[in-house]
Amino acid sequence: MKFEQRRVRLTVLTLLLAVLWAGHGQAQTKNVELTGRVVDEKTGDPLPGAVVHIKGTTHEVAADNNGAYRFLTGQRPPVVYVVSYVGYKTREIQVDNYEPAELKLTGGNAQLNDVVVVGYGTQRRSDVTGAVAGVSKTALSQPAASFDNLLQGAVSGVSVTQSSSQPGSTAGIRIRGGNSISFSNDPLYVIDGFIVYNNNTLVNSGATTGAGVNALATINPSDIESIEILKDASATAIYGSHGANGVVIITTRRGKKGTDEVNYSGYYGDQRAIRKLSLLNASQWASLVNDINVSDGVAKTYSDSAIRAFGAGSDWQSAGIRHAGVQNHELSISGGDEKSKYLVSGNYFDQHGLLFNSGYKRYSGRVNYERNVSDAFRINLNIFGSHSVENSLIGSAYGSVQQSNAWSTLLGSVPVVPIRTASGAFNDVNQYLTTPTNPLQDIEQTTNASNINRLLGNFSAEYKLLPGLALKASLGVDQLGTKQNLYEPSTTAAGYAVSGYGSVGSVNATSWLNENTVTWTPTFGDNFFNVLAGYTTQVSDDQEAVASAEKFPNDLTSFNDLSVASTPLLPSSGAHHSVINSFLGRVSYSFQHKYNVTISGRADGSSVLGANHKWGYFPSIGLSWNASQEDFFRDRLPLVSNLKLRVSAGQTGNSGVPPYSSLATLAPTNYYFGGTLVTGIAPTQIANPNLKWETTTQYDAGVDVGVFKNRVSFTFDAYYKKTTDLLLNVPLPAFSGYTSALENVGSVRNAGIEAGLNVDVVRARSFSWKTAAVWAANRNKILDLGPGVSYYYPSAPIGQQSPVIVQVGLPVGAFYGYSTDGLLTAADLAKGVPLLTGVPQQVGDQRYVALTGHTSVTTADKHYLGSSQPKFIWGWTNNFSWRGFDLSAVIQGSYGNKLFNQLEQQLEKPTLSLNASGALVNRWSVSNPFGVVPRATNSPVPQVIDRWIQDASYARLKNLTLGYTFSRGSAARIRAKQLRVYVSAQNWVTVTSYKGYNPEANFFDNDNTRAGIDYGIYPAARTILGGLTITF
Amino acid sequence: MRDVLVNYIAFGAVVTMVACNKLVENPASTITATQFYKTQSDAVAAVDAVYTTLNSDPASDFPIYGRELNLMTDNASDNQNFSPSNTNPDVRAMSTITYVSSNGRILKNWQQHYYGINRANIAIDGVSAMAVTAFSSTGLQGRLVGEARFIRALLYFNLVRLFGPVPLILHNPSSVDITTLQVARAPRDSVYAQIIADLSFAVGALPGSYSGADVGRATSGAAHALLAKVYIYRRDWADASSELLKVLTAGTFAGATGTYGYGLFPNYGDAFAKASKNGIEHVFSVQFVTSGGETGATQWLSYSFTSFNTGTYPIDIPSDSSVSQIFSGGDTRKAVTFYTSVYNAATGGTVVFDNPYTPYLNKFVDYTVSPLNNQTTSGIDYPVIRYADVLLSYAEVLNELNGGPTADAYKAIDLVRERAHVADLTLGLSQSDFRDSVFLERRKEFVQEGQQWFDLVRQGVDVYLAAQHKIAAHAAAAAKDTLFPIPLTEIQLDPLLTQNAGW
Repeated sequence: MKFEQRRVRLTVLTLLLAVLWAGHGQAQTKNVELTGRVVDEKTGDPLPGAVVHIKGTTHEVAADNNGAYRFLTGQRPPVVYVVSYVGYKTREIQVDNYEPAELKLTGGNAQLNDVVVVGYGTQRRSDVTGAVAGVSKTALSQPAASFDNLLQGAVSGVSVTQSSSQPGSTAGIRIRGGNSISFSNDPLYVIDGFIVYNNNTLVNSGATTGAGVNALATINPSDIESIEILKDASATAIYGSHGANGVVIITTRRGKKGTDEVNYSGYYGDQRAIRKLSLLNASQWASLVNDINVSDGVAKTYSDSAIRAFGAGSDWQSAGIRHAGVQNHELSISGGDEKSKYLVSGNYFDQHGLLFNSGYKRYSGRVNYERNVSDAFRINLNIFGSHSVENSLIGSAYGSVQQSNAWSTLLGSVPVVPIRTASGAFNDVNQYLTTPTNPLQDIEQTTNASNINRLLGNFSAEYKLLPGLALKASLGVDQLGTKQNLYEPSTTAAGYAVSGYGSVGSVNATSWLNENTVTWTPTFGDNFFNVLAGYTTQVSDDQEAVASAEKFPNDLTSFNDLSVASTPLLPSSGAHHSVINSFLGRVSYSFQHKYNVTISGRADGSSVLGANHKWGYFPSIGLSWNASQEDFFRDRLPLVSNLKLRVSAGQTGNSGVPPYSSLATLAPTNYYFGGTLVTGIAPTQIANPNLKWETTTQYDAGVDVGVFKNRVSFTFDAYYKKTTDLLLNVPLPAFSGYTSALENVGSVRNAGIEAGLNVDVVRARSFSWKTAAVWAANRNKILDLGPGVSYYYPSAPIGQQSPVIVQVGLPVGAFYGYSTDGLLTAADLAKGVPLLTGVPQQVGDQRYVALTGHTSVTTADKHYLGSSQPKFIWGWTNNFSWRGFDLSAVIQGSYGNKLFNQLEQQLEKPTLSLNASGALVNRWSVSNPFGVVPRATNSPVPQVIDRWIQDASYARLKNLTLGYTFSRGSAARIRAKQLRVYVSAQNWVTVTSYKGYNPEANFFDNDNTRAGIDYGIYPAARTILGGLTITF
Repeated sequence: MRDVLVNYIAFGAVVTMVACNKLVENPASTITATQFYKTQSDAVAAVDAVYTTLNSDPASDFPIYGRELNLMTDNASDNQNFSPSNTNPDVRAMSTITYVSSNGRILKNWQQHYYGINRANIAIDGVSAMAVTAFSSTGLQGRLVGEARFIRALLYFNLVRLFGPVPLILHNPSSVDITTLQVARAPRDSVYAQIIADLSFAVGALPGSYSGADVGRATSGAAHALLAKVYIYRRDWADASSELLKVLTAGTFAGATGTYGYGLFPNYGDAFAKASKNGIEHVFSVQFVTSGGETGATQWLSYSFTSFNTGTYPIDIPSDSSVSQIFSGGDTRKAVTFYTSVYNAATGGTVVFDNPYTPYLNKFVDYTVSPLNNQTTSGIDYPVIRYADVLLSYAEVLNELNGGPTADAYKAIDLVRERAHVADLTLGLSQSDFRDSVFLERRKEFVQEGQQWFDLVRQGVDVYLAAQHKIAAHAAAAAKDTLFPIPLTEIQLDPLLTQNAGW
C-alpha cells in the first residue's frame, strides 16, 4: 500500500527518468527460446494480442500481429501455456518440445470480439452502435509526408483532397461532407487521447506568403499504429461542440511485451511532374501579338520572317520544374516486459519540391512509455517532438483574396524573352515586365520559409479502484512554435521597387488539456455495461508578432537583421486565449452482446461564444442488433457469419470561431497629419452576445454483414445531417457601417450513403489476395441563409468576377457564370442573337447564351454551372502476397466534381505582355474561320463561362508497391529478425479529362465557399521510390 | 486501499479545481468598446479613425479619395475612360455608362461612405459623451466632434449628390438584428439639413489652422468652403456668397473677411506636388505620404504611370483626345494635367507614349519616388477643396446672384486663368455665357479631381447628355444616369429602400 501511495506522488520528471529503466532485467543466462502462434481454431486466423502465460511462472507475453509469441525463458518443456483472448475460451495447452507450437482457441468471433477505439476508451466491436471505421494497414504503410494523405481512398465517407502538391502543404479532409459554410469543416483529431484542433493559422504569422503550411505534417506518419474514424453522432457526440465534422482517432505505436526490437526503415525516391500545361511557343506568341495588333487597328509588331526566326523560344514552364528527391529515414527501438512497454523513435524526412527553392523537411522524435506500477495502477507517457522547415512558393498571402503566385507569373512569361543570358546568368532584360527582373530568378532567390517546432506530450495515470471500475486522469500539452522568414531581394519583382523586402514572424501556440474520467464496466449475468463519466478542460493560447522592413543596402543579412534596412514598416502582434470546459458521459448497455444501446452526451462550455450561450449540450443515442447471434438466424443462414443492424441519432456542434468573435471589438487604423503617422481606433464588429455553436443533427442507419466466416465483409451506412444555426457572416445593409456580422442563421443539409467491402479472395498457403473497396456519395445543399438573403457572392479579387455563388438550394462551392455556344458568326449577328451588354462584339467573339426570353446577355443570365462537390468518391485497395513477395495497389478516385480552371481562363486571355495557353493556336481569325477559341483582342474581360468549369473526375493509382520479405534464415545471416525491401510508385497513373495540373486543385484550401478554384496551383508529382525495412 | 482512494480523490479534486477555468473572455490584443472612449487620447484616436476612411479601405480596395470616388465622378463623366488593359467589368461599365445596380464599384463607394459615416457617428457620440475634464485644453472636445461632423457632412454631401435621397444614419447600430437596421431613404432636404447642421457646428468648433503634427485636419475655413458648396448645390446663392466671403482672403474681394491666408500657388503644378502639400491653396486635402509606414493607404490615381513599357497602359485614361484639346496652347495646366513622355532615370532616355489613348493623366504621378513605377508609395495628397474651387464658386455665385457677372465675378475667374497663363475672360458676357465659361474653366482646372460628373449633372440633364454623347464610348448615357442606382444588395437586404427612377 505504501508502495502505491508513493507511486501516486510520482512526478512527471521521475517518469521521464523511468523511461531509462525500460528493458531493464531482461537478460538472463541459460535461457531458451519458446515460440509459436496463437490462432483461431476454425479459421486459422492469427489472434494478435492474445495473452500467453506459462503456468506456474510470472512469464506472460502477448502475441504480435501475426499471432506469434516468443519467450526467452529459463523454463524447459514440457510447459503448460494458459492462453487467453477476448471473446475466446481461455485454454491450457501443454507443449512438450522446442518446436514452434500452434495454440488454437475456440468459441470466438474474431471480428465481433475485436476491441475498437472509441472516444475516451474502447468498446467491443460487437457492442458498438455507431459508425466507426478503421484505416487499413496497407493505407497506413504508404509513404507520405503527412498522415492526412494516407486516408485518401481508405475509408468510406472520408474525402481527402491534396489540393496543392507543394511539399508540406495542407490537405482538405471532409467526413460525410461539409457542414459549415464559413468555418472549418476539418475533423477533430485525437492523438493518443490528446485533442488537437488542427488550425493552420497557428503556424502562420502572416510574415510569409503563398499556400498555407499544414500543421498536421509536423506529425510523423510512421509513428501511427492505427487510425479510427468516428462518423455518426453516436460515436462523435462524446466530443460535443467539436464533433460535428467527425473525429479521427490516432493511436501511435508502442512496444510489445516480451520483445526488444530495433527497426530501421527508409526510402529514397525521385519525383517528376505528372503533366505540363500547353503554352504558346515564341513564334506562336508573336503571331498572337500580330493578331491583337490587327484587332487594335495598329501595325503588326512582327514580320513573318521574324516570327519564323523565333522558333520555339523559351520554355519557362520546363525551366522551372526539376526532378526532385524525397527521402525518409526512421529508426525505432521498442519492446516491453510484463510491466512496461516502450518505444523510442526518430525520423528524418526530406522532400524537395518540383519547383525550385521549395521543399519540406522534418526531424522528429517520439518516446512512448507505459508501465504497470502495480496491478491496479498504470501510467502512460507519450512525448513527441518535431522540427520542420517548409520552403514554399511565394504567392499571395495566406487566405487572401488576391490570387497570384510566382508560378502563375512564371507561366505568363513571354517565350520570346530568353531565360538566361549567354553566360548562364538570369536574363533580367524583359520589356514585358514592369521591373528588370526574371520570374524564375524570383522563385530561386526569394526566401519564404516556415520553421515549425511541435512538442506534443501527454501523461496519463489510470487506477483500477475495483475490478471493472477505473479512474483515469491525464494532462497533456501541445506546443507549436513557428518562425517564418521572408526575404525578397532587390533583384526580384517584389523586392525591386522597395530595394529589398524582409519580414519575420513568429507564432507560439500552446494548448493544454486535462481530462479526468471514470469508467465502470460491470456485468450482471447477460447484462454488460460500460459507463463513462468525465470532466475535461482545455486551454489554448497563442501569441504572434510580425516585423518587416524594406530598403536593404545588400543581401548579406537579409531577414536575419532587419535593422540593416532603412525603412521599417509598422510591426504587428497579437494574442488570443480560449477555454473549453466539458462534462461528458456515456452509457453502453449490451444484453448478451446481441442487443446494444449507447447513450452519450457532452456539455461544453466555450469561452469564444457569446455571453448568453457559453454552454452547449450534445446528446446521442445508438442502437444495434447482432442478428447473426440469434439462434434462429444461425440455423437458417449458416453462411452469414455476421449480421449487425445499427441506427443512431444525435447532435454535435461546431464552435470553431476565433476568440473575441462575439465582442464589440475595435481595431487600429492609420492616417497622416503633418506628414507623420497617427493611429485611429474604431470598431470593427457589432457585439453579438447571442453567438453560439452550429448544431448538426445526424441520423444514421447501417448494416454490417459478414459471410463465409467473415471472409467477405460488407458495411453500408445511410445518413442524413442537418446543420442549423450556421455561423455565418450575415450580410448587413452597408449603410449600417458594417458589411456583415457573425450570426447563427441558416442551415445546410448533407445526406449520403457509403459502403465498404472487404474480401479475402484467396487464402492459400503460399498465395493470398485481399481486396477492399470503399464508396461514398454525399449530397450537400444549402437550405437557408437567413432572413432576406437567398444568395451571396464570396469576395472575388479586385477586378474579377466571383466564379462561385452561395445560394439557397445549391451545394456549397457552386459555380456561377455564363453558358456559351461557340463563337459568333456573321449569320448570328445578322440574325440579332443576344449579345453581351457593355462589350462591343463581332464575328469570332464568344457567343454567350441568354436565358429564355432575354434579348441581351447581362449578369442576369449567369446561372449555376455545377459544383466542386463530387457525385461520389471511391477507393480500391488490393493486396497480394506470394511466398516472400507482396504487392499492394491503392486506386482511388472522385466522380462528378468540377473545377473552375481559372489559370486557363487567365492564360486564354490574349495580351501584349503575357504568354498564353496553347489553346489559342486554334483561335478564330479571318484565315482560321473554324477556330474554336475567340479571336485575339487586347486583354478582353475574362468572363466566368462554362468552358472553364471543367469536369475534374479522376481515377488515380495512388500507390503501387512491390515488396520482398527475406526468409527468416536469410535475415538471420545479417542478424536481423526481419528484412523487407520494396519499390513503390505514388500517383503513377491518373486518368482524368481535366486539363489543369491536378484534378484535386483547390487554390483556397481553407475556404469552403471558394472550393474548386484552380489558379496556378503547385504542379503535381509522380514519385518512384525504393526502400527497406529491417528489424533486429 | 481506502487510503489510496482518498489520496486519489484528493489528487483528482486538485486537478479539477486547477482546471476550473473561467469562460469569460478578456482579450489582451483587442480593444473592446466598453474599454474605450475614456481618455483624451481615446477621443483623438476615435476621430483620427474617421479620417482613415478617406485614404484607405479595410479590404485594401481603392480608398474613397484614392480612385474609388473618381470612378463615379470622373470615369463616369465625359473626362475619363477605363484603361485598355482594364479587365474589371464593373470598372469598364462605369466608363461606358452601362453600369447596373449590382455594379461592384457603386456598391463599394456606397459602402466606404457609410463606413466613414459610421466611424464619424461613433466618434461624435463617443467623444460628446465624455466628461469635459478628460480633456487637457478647452475647446479640444468640441474641435474633435467638429472634425468628425465635418467629415460626416462631406460624405453625406457626396452621397446625396450621387444617389439622391439616402438613409440618414446618425448612430452606431447596437444590435446585429437586421430588422433593427432597416430604414427608408431620407428625403434630400433632411439629408441636406443634417449636412448644414453638421457644418454649422463645425465652423464654430474648428480652428482656422493647425500646426506641426496636426496639419491636415479639417479647419473652420474648410467647413465654410464646404458649406458654401452645399449652398451652391441647394441654389441658395445668398448663403453661398456669405460663406465664400468668410473664406476669401480679406481685402481681395469686397466684403471678404477670410483670415486663413488662402491663395493660389503661382505654379499650378504645386497644387499636386508633395513638397507643397497643405499649402496656401489647399483648403482641405486627404493626406498621402511616401513610406509613411502604413500599408492601407494607397493613392491609386498615381498609377496614371505604371511602367516605361509602352505596351502597358496606366490605370485610367482621358475619354478621348477632346479632353486635352480644351486647353489653349499657352495654358500651363495642360502640361500638369497630362503627360506624353517620361524621363527614365535608369536608362537616361526619355520614353514617349504615343498611341490612341495618350496623352495620359499626370496630376497624381509622384515623380519623386524611385524607381518611378513604384507609385504604390506615392505621397500626393488628394485636394478635396482647393482655393481655385472657392474662387470659381464665387464667380459662379455672383453671376447667379446678380443676374449676370459682376466685376468681382470676373476678378475671381481671372485669378484662376492668370495663374494658368491664360488671357482674362472676355468682358461683357451674358449671364448664360459667363456661366458656361465658369463651367469650362472648372473642367480645365479640375481634371481628375472628382468634380466633373457633379458639375455636369447640376447643369441639368440636357447638358449632361450632350456632354456625354460627344464621347463615343459614353453613348449609352441616359437621363436616368444623372443619379446612380442604389446598390442592388442594399435593396435586397432592406425592403424599405426604393430604387431611383429608371433603374
